[in-house]
This record gives sequence, C-alpha cells and structure tokens, in this order.
Amino acid sequence: MKHSVFPLNRWTPPAVIRRALPAMGLVVLLQFASIGAARGDTDWGKPFPAFESNWFVDMSRFSEGAHTGIDCGECHMEMVEGTKKHPDPEAPGYLKTDARERFDYGRCKRCHLKARERSLEGAHAEAMKQQQQRKRKADPTEAGQEDDAPYPAPTCGHCHSAHYDRSQRSRVEVGRAMTETCGACHPVEKATYLENYHGRAAVDLGHAEAAYCTDCHGAHTCISLKKEAETALSACRRCHPDAGKNFADIVIHYSTQRLADDDHPKRPAILRIYVAGLVSLAFISILLIGFYSHSFLLMLRKIHDKLRRPE
Amino acid sequence: MMENSPIENDAVRRFSVFHRFLHIFVMISFTFLAVTGFSLSFSDQGWAGLVVSLLGGAESAAGFHRFCAALFYLVVVSHLIWLGYFKVVLKGRWTGSHTMIPNATDWENILQNFRYIFGKGEPPLFNRFSYLEKIDYWAVLLGMQSMGVTGLLMWHPEAFSAVLPGYAINIANEFHFHEAILAVGYIGVVHMTATHLTPEAFPLEKSIFNGRIARRRLKAEHPGEWKDRYAPTAPSEGTTDPADAAS
Repeated sequence: MKHSVFPLNRWTPPAVIRRALPAMGLVVLLQFASIGAARGDTDWGKPFPAFESNWFVDMSRFSEGAHTGIDCGECHMEMVEGTKKHPDPEAPGYLKTDARERFDYGRCKRCHLKARERSLEGAHAEAMKQQQQRKRKADPTEAGQEDDAPYPAPTCGHCHSAHYDRSQRSRVEVGRAMTETCGACHPVEKATYLENYHGRAAVDLGHAEAAYCTDCHGAHTCISLKKEAETALSACRRCHPDAGKNFADIVIHYSTQRLADDDHPKRPAILRIYVAGLVSLAFISILLIGFYSHSFLLMLRKIHDKLRRPE
Repeated sequence: MMENSPIENDAVRRFSVFHRFLHIFVMISFTFLAVTGFSLSFSDQGWAGLVVSLLGGAESAAGFHRFCAALFYLVVVSHLIWLGYFKVVLKGRWTGSHTMIPNATDWENILQNFRYIFGKGEPPLFNRFSYLEKIDYWAVLLGMQSMGVTGLLMWHPEAFSAVLPGYAINIANEFHFHEAILAVGYIGVVHMTATHLTPEAFPLEKSIFNGRIARRRLKAEHPGEWKDRYAPTAPSEGTTDPADAAS
C-alpha cells in the first residue's frame, strides 16, 4: 500500500465545508472592513460634532432632556432684540447666525453657580477673555471679521446642549460623550488619551473607575496640566494617592507630533520613549522576520523532501 | 520496512512528568496572558470588549492578567529550583551536549540546517535539544524576566516613579507590548510550525504532553541523544532501556 506522504492528503473536507469556505473568507474580510470603517468614523477637525445648535428646537428631544419642564422664558428672558421681537422675521440673515453666539450664558449661573465659578477659573474662560481683548483691539472698520483662533472660545453651550442634554446618565455614558465633546477641539489629546491606558479602560472597556478628561483636568475648571508639575501631581493623586515625585512625568498624551514643539515640557521624555520604542520595534521586527523566514524555508524543504523521498 | 516495524514505533521517554506539567502551566498562562493583554492593547476592537466583559470587566481582566503572570513566574521559579535539585540531589550536570546550554555544535547545526534548506547538504544531527528548542527555552526564561520587570513597572507606577523617571513607565509599556507581539508571533508561528507542522509530527506533536517519542523519531530527530542513551549498550532493537523503566 502506498502511504500518503502527508496526513492532510488523506483527509478531504466534507462538501458542506468546501462550499462554505469562500463565504467564510468573505465574512472574515467583511469583519476587517467593518473594523476599518468603525475606526474611520470619528470626524476630527469638524468643530462641535457633539450636537448641532440650531434656532429650531426639537420639542420631542427637549422633553427628554434635563431641562424639560423649565419655561423658555426662564433662560431666554423677554426674547426681545433691541425694539424687535426675537426671532425677527424682518431680518432673514438672523437665523443664519450661530445661536450660541447670541445667548448670554451668564444666565446659567442662576441654577449652576458652582459650575460657573469653576469655569471662570479655567482655561476656557481665559480663552474667552483673550478673544474679547482681540476683538476690542481689532480695527473697528473691520468689525465682524472672523477671529483667527482655531476654535471660538467656548461658552457653556459649546460643550453642553441646554435643550437636549439628558440628566441621570451613568459615569461611563457621560465620560464617553465628554471624550467626543472635548475631542472636537482637542483632537490630538483625544487620540492620545484613547491610546493610553486611561482611555482604553474608561472609554473602550467602560471601566467607570478609570479617569475621563475632567477627572484630571477638572470639571468645568478645564486647565492644562503640562505647565505646573505640582498641579499635575495633585491631579494624579486624586486616584493614585501614593504617587511618587516623578509620577506626573509619565506621559499620558503621548504623541510624536509634540516633538515638533521645542517648548513642550515633555518633549525630552517623549523623544526618549519614541527612540526606545523604535529600537524595540526594530528588534522584534528583525527577530520575527528572521525566524519566520527560517521556519517557512525549513518547512518547504521538509515537505519537498518528504514528497520526493522514495517510499 | 523498518520504519514501520512495531519496535521502531515503540515509545521512549523524552520529558519527565515535572517538565510536562510545567509546559502545561506555561501554555495555559501564556494563552490567557496574551488574550487579556491584547484585549487592552486592542481595546477599540469589538472582540476585546467581548473578552473583557466575559471576564467581568476591565478590573477583573487586569487581575486575571496579573494572576496568570504570577503563575507563569512561578513556573520559572520552580524550574530554577528544579535545576538546583537536579544538580545537588540528582548529581546532574548543567552543561554538556544534553543540556539547554548553547554550544559550538548549535552554531554548526544552524549552518548545516541552512545548507539543508538550500539543498546543499543533509539535515543536521541534533543532540537532546535542537537549536530551535534551545531558543524556545531561553526566549521564555529570559523573556519572562523582561516581561516581568516591565509588567511590574506598569503594575506599580506609584512606587517605581519614586526612583525612576516618569517616562520609564511609558518605555516599559512600549517594551511590554512589543515583546508580547514577539512572544505571540514567535510561539504562534515558529514554535507551532517547528513542532506540529513538520511532516514527522503532523497533525499533533504529543511528546511534550505524554512525555513519549517513537524510537524511530528520536533516532531521526535527536540522533545525538539517541547515541548518548543507546550507543554504549550497542542497542539491539528489543532491549528495554533504563529511561523507560525509570518513569
């Protein structure tokens, strides 16, 4: 009896498997395609994708929001612009302006005093001050010219939707929405956070104890932590009470884009991480390529020998 | 034909019970370490969320990862203790052709194997462990030290950042991830093909699980060991060898 050279040759898969193979391959391909599509659906660079602000108020969504039951007038007051009623149908261009630029968000403090006080201490309020200064300095003849800052200084309404945001959401839900909201203006920070342990655990895996944006940068305060090491360390110690003196030097928002910024305080650390990472990547690539070639060639030779060897 | 004679298919002992147990522990903990670790590295993929939710959330997945790491390291420690026992009690030797210590023969075997691969020579005559098996062994023994250190750094960043610069934790993260890819890439392809996907063993190499290997395979794949064990007694095909009796 002639022995089959390779045990697999003796076995023919049942017809049902043979017929299903192309379909299975297609399913695997589609799976990869859908992963790729899912990765590509974040629209960075488009400001404020978290929600659209519009003069039209969708009352069915408003009725599900946190502010349902509050009269329009409680926030919007008299709804009069100059001598005319608002919105003024005589001024068609009016409705094309951004509603958020028109509303006085100072009114939010009537209920959200603490949030307002905190936000006034933070970087967003500082950005607003600077924007107003720029507007005052600007030539009055060029009034109405667009500010050249990449994003408008955010007010309450840029991060929160007074009409539609819901209350009673879980920490994970709020955190995931927050990542999108903050990420609209801070795309590099969002991307690097999502690659860091914190973002992976908190956003991807829904681990409620891991930190979201505001857990480090302050809810409503919103401050940068890169300048003062003391502030950063105290932020770390909210969750890591035993944090050592260099703990705040761990790079959370690791991005090689920072290497272009010579003044970035973490640039030296990022450079070292980058070089070490490159070296280890090169090391494993060389090893894997070498071993894979060895295994592949050896297997070919063995099969070749087995097929040629007289029984 | 002799290749298929019953005696040639008789099994002889190749691995002791202890080593087979260690291999099983390494196998299981390695697999779970890879699965739990990569579910964090690729947490944005659907399967990662599924794995983590099956394990009861990110915190218990992390705990399980560390448990498996401890189990893995326990294997390393028990192996080192066994090495001491082997030397002191069993009066064994740590060096020599039958051990995992690399020697000049391995280098010759590598060259010979490449001659064989390119059709310019016969396959090399391995001793008890081929050079690839030695690489398997040292990759685990040394790789586990660096995985252990980088893993500990990420496990206790608070303590380590008191003595190391902060970016050391980031570098540990890079090394841990890259080495994990190397380990899984090596074990999944090189180790698997070298053991199971050779015409001699396909579809499954069982000797690390049942400790036995057919005489003809030992003779063909580890002629050095075959010679060490059987040549002095000038084997007639039927003799029972002491290694068989001992187990």
